[in-house]
Amino acid sequence: MDNKTIKEYLNRCSKCGGCQAVCPLYGETHSEPLVARGKLFLMKNYLDGNLELSPKMMELMSLCLLCKACTVQCPNRIPVDELVLSIRREIAHQKGIPFVKKNVFHHLLQNNGRLTLAAKFAYLYQQSGLQWLMRKTNILGLLPGELARKEKLLPRMNRVPFRAQVPMTLSSSKPRLRVGYYTGCLTNYVFAETGHAVLKVLKNHPLEVVIPEQWCCGLPALTSGDEESAVLLARRNIEVFKKAGVDIIITDCASCGSMLRQYGDLIGGRDARIFSQKVVDFSQLMGDVIDFKPGDKEVSSVVTYHDPCHLRRGQGVIEAPRRLIMSVPGITFREMKDPDRCCGAAGSFNLTHCELANRIGHRKTRNIVDSGAQTVITGCPSCIMQIRHQLELQEIPVQVMHLAELLSKTY
Amino acid sequence: MLSTTVIKEIIKVVGKENVLTTKEELLCYAYDSTPRAFLPDLVARPCCTAQIQKIAKLANEHLFPLVPRGAGTGLSGGSLPVDGGVVVDLTRMNNILEIDEENLVAVVEPGVITFQIQEEVEKRGLFYPPDPASLKTSTIGGNVAECAGGPRALKYGVTRDYVLGLEVVTPDGEVITTGGKTVKSVTGYDLLRLYTGSEGTLGIITKIYLRLIPKPEAKKTMMVVYDKLDDAAQSVSRIIRGGIIPVTLEMMDDRTIRCVENHKQMGLPLDAEAILIIEVDGPQILLDCQAHEIAKLCQDCGAREIKIAETEEERESIWAARRSVSAAVVQIKPTKISEDISVPRMAIPRMVRRLKEIASRYNLELVIFGHAGDGNLHPNILCDQTDAEEMQRVEKAIGELFKAAVELGGTLSGEHGIGMMKAPYLKVETGEAGFEVMRRIKEALDPNNILNPGKIFRGDSNG
Repeated sequence: MDNKTIKEYLNRCSKCGGCQAVCPLYGETHSEPLVARGKLFLMKNYLDGNLELSPKMMELMSLCLLCKACTVQCPNRIPVDELVLSIRREIAHQKGIPFVKKNVFHHLLQNNGRLTLAAKFAYLYQQSGLQWLMRKTNILGLLPGELARKEKLLPRMNRVPFRAQVPMTLSSSKPRLRVGYYTGCLTNYVFAETGHAVLKVLKNHPLEVVIPEQWCCGLPALTSGDEESAVLLARRNIEVFKKAGVDIIITDCASCGSMLRQYGDLIGGRDARIFSQKVVDFSQLMGDVIDFKPGDKEVSSVVTYHDPCHLRRGQGVIEAPRRLIMSVPGITFREMKDPDRCCGAAGSFNLTHCELANRIGHRKTRNIVDSGAQTVITGCPSCIMQIRHQLELQEIPVQVMHLAELLSKTY
Repeated sequence: MLSTTVIKEIIKVVGKENVLTTKEELLCYAYDSTPRAFLPDLVARPCCTAQIQKIAKLANEHLFPLVPRGAGTGLSGGSLPVDGGVVVDLTRMNNILEIDEENLVAVVEPGVITFQIQEEVEKRGLFYPPDPASLKTSTIGGNVAECAGGPRALKYGVTRDYVLGLEVVTPDGEVITTGGKTVKSVTGYDLLRLYTGSEGTLGIITKIYLRLIPKPEAKKTMMVVYDKLDDAAQSVSRIIRGGIIPVTLEMMDDRTIRCVENHKQMGLPLDAEAILIIEVDGPQILLDCQAHEIAKLCQDCGAREIKIAETEEERESIWAARRSVSAAVVQIKPTKISEDISVPRMAIPRMVRRLKEIASRYNLELVIFGHAGDGNLHPNILCDQTDAEEMQRVEKAIGELFKAAVELGGTLSGEHGIGMMKAPYLKVETGEAGFEVMRRIKEALDPNNILNPGKIFRGDSNG
């Protein structure tokens, strides 16, 4: 987006304040600088030369979940999330990216070997008894409060990355489609069970599945303003999936999916656009592209569904997951209040703004409990991690699982 | 500018985390839903009446302005800190203190969002009718301070009709309670009416007792299309005289209809002069009968097309047309100046013609919609605030449309308040003597002019 377009959008804000009603951050804080109207006004003042990129300004611009709730709500159709990204890019450009993030984006995400090694360290930390020791001896208590809490956010890592556990090609007899499976980092390193569930469901349909070597989608870099790293990662993914010659590309991660679909706009060109056009969410493949055939096994549970921001508003996927859930034999479906309100995960937001993310998460768990559900189904590993963590914090015995896991239980 | 001593004192009262002083944060409390902005010196976010009392005492001692603010969604500039000073952000005081189902009263703090009150009371089969367009974001404190209205005012009245009692911090830091849970109260002057709609100039409202009524069982909605605006106005009058008071009687003019249709193709007639959206509520068994009665009256008045919603989806699609007006009209030009003159019901066609004449004389884009049942129109001028020359024409046109409203027996503001935006025109309606009475009340209650200076009176006596 160029400066002229940005200014036009900013000028369009009538300051009606409608964004207050849907902004999860405003809902918890009632703080005007956190809601879209405030941020847009600050950006306008910055572009008019009335403000600098001060530490305060940078902090306020980091306080956005990019959940797109305001973008959808806005009567004047201002793409708030894109404007926030553009100012973050400007900040990254002028002020650089924080040391830790830079290292992650440049050295970890662009190098699968190192990423796997890091995941292995985390796994060893958890398995060797070191984590147990740290927690038991209260050494963690010596860390500053936030950091001790963050340690608890570290998910249980896969012993071996998911992609190393499965063959690169799986075929059924008479496949109708050749499907490329983009596993995302979280399925690869943390939630192998989601990956296995996806494959189990796909195997029961006339599909050929390819899982090429692949890289981080680039979303974490992009949301931090590091467009360069994001573009680099995008090019690599486009390349490998082109080589794999697939008809369609699926992902089990709403966030990755929304990013993969943006490649076309992000870097342009024929390959990128074709790539993006091929991307669908797992739920769309099963619900819209082919006809999902559940197995015979009943799954008797009362379930509710959480809409990941990146699936509902990012990709317009609303009905397919609900339809699929209801097609599972034995299921009772109950819609929760505000199913599309952000859970507070928002990528690494729950790491950088722990306390606020907990408050947002709390509202989500309250709505889950009120629905009377025993299980929450969703379509994004990031949401799964956050909702599970929030439920554990409050000792609420509700299960959280990926849609694919629910569907796979019928076979 | 506030001295460091004052800032320290305020921090002592509300705590460091509830005091904002950086330019970035102050900018976010410089505006409301008008195009204007004024930087405050400080934002304080008190949590209780006692803290507000202390702040008011400080303000009187050190003579700085206090500007009460809810969600900042006002349309008259009522919460703009035009002279700087301290914005008193009341959004932390957001508890529903009590819903008394026996006496049909809700007791709430000023920072509760109006929609939340409605949600809570409706769960109990009760009803709080006022429904300003901003109800999902605006606070009840702001609604009371500006005496907000809404489409349902025709049948149910406006905010003031539901305020039974108020706790108010006076400009010098005392607390008074006026009214309460009783329906009747004639003890001394009617301070309730004085504070309701006082726009933050006489006191800071810290607790509100709201009258509730039983929730109507059902509603029915219809859309009526007219070739002639006069026929629509005639229908409105006939319906009400016929003994049926609809909840809402919304009107869109030809320009608005075209705007909405261009924006979102819903099959609205592009050659119609007016559309009415009529909704009735009450016991289910009466509604069909009422709807048909209304349809017949409209037909007699020359309606071209009548659509009665039979399902919830049809009802939704009718309201979707009205709801998309705001989004549709800003496609013409980015800045929307929304006025809210009110005229006697039957003067609507004359008022609409005057408005159109004024707009064409100043070469401005104008759409008119609003609440036809109560004569409250929203002429919206669409312009570009970056175009100084155009904004000058807008300013002149607004002056004329106020004059026209008063000439037709109407008022400057039906539901937005005077604030700063309409202050220069107040005397057009009140006259010198009326103005003077109001000014003396202000002077008596707030001699140091601490509370919300620059509102209602400015333009003349430096109020």
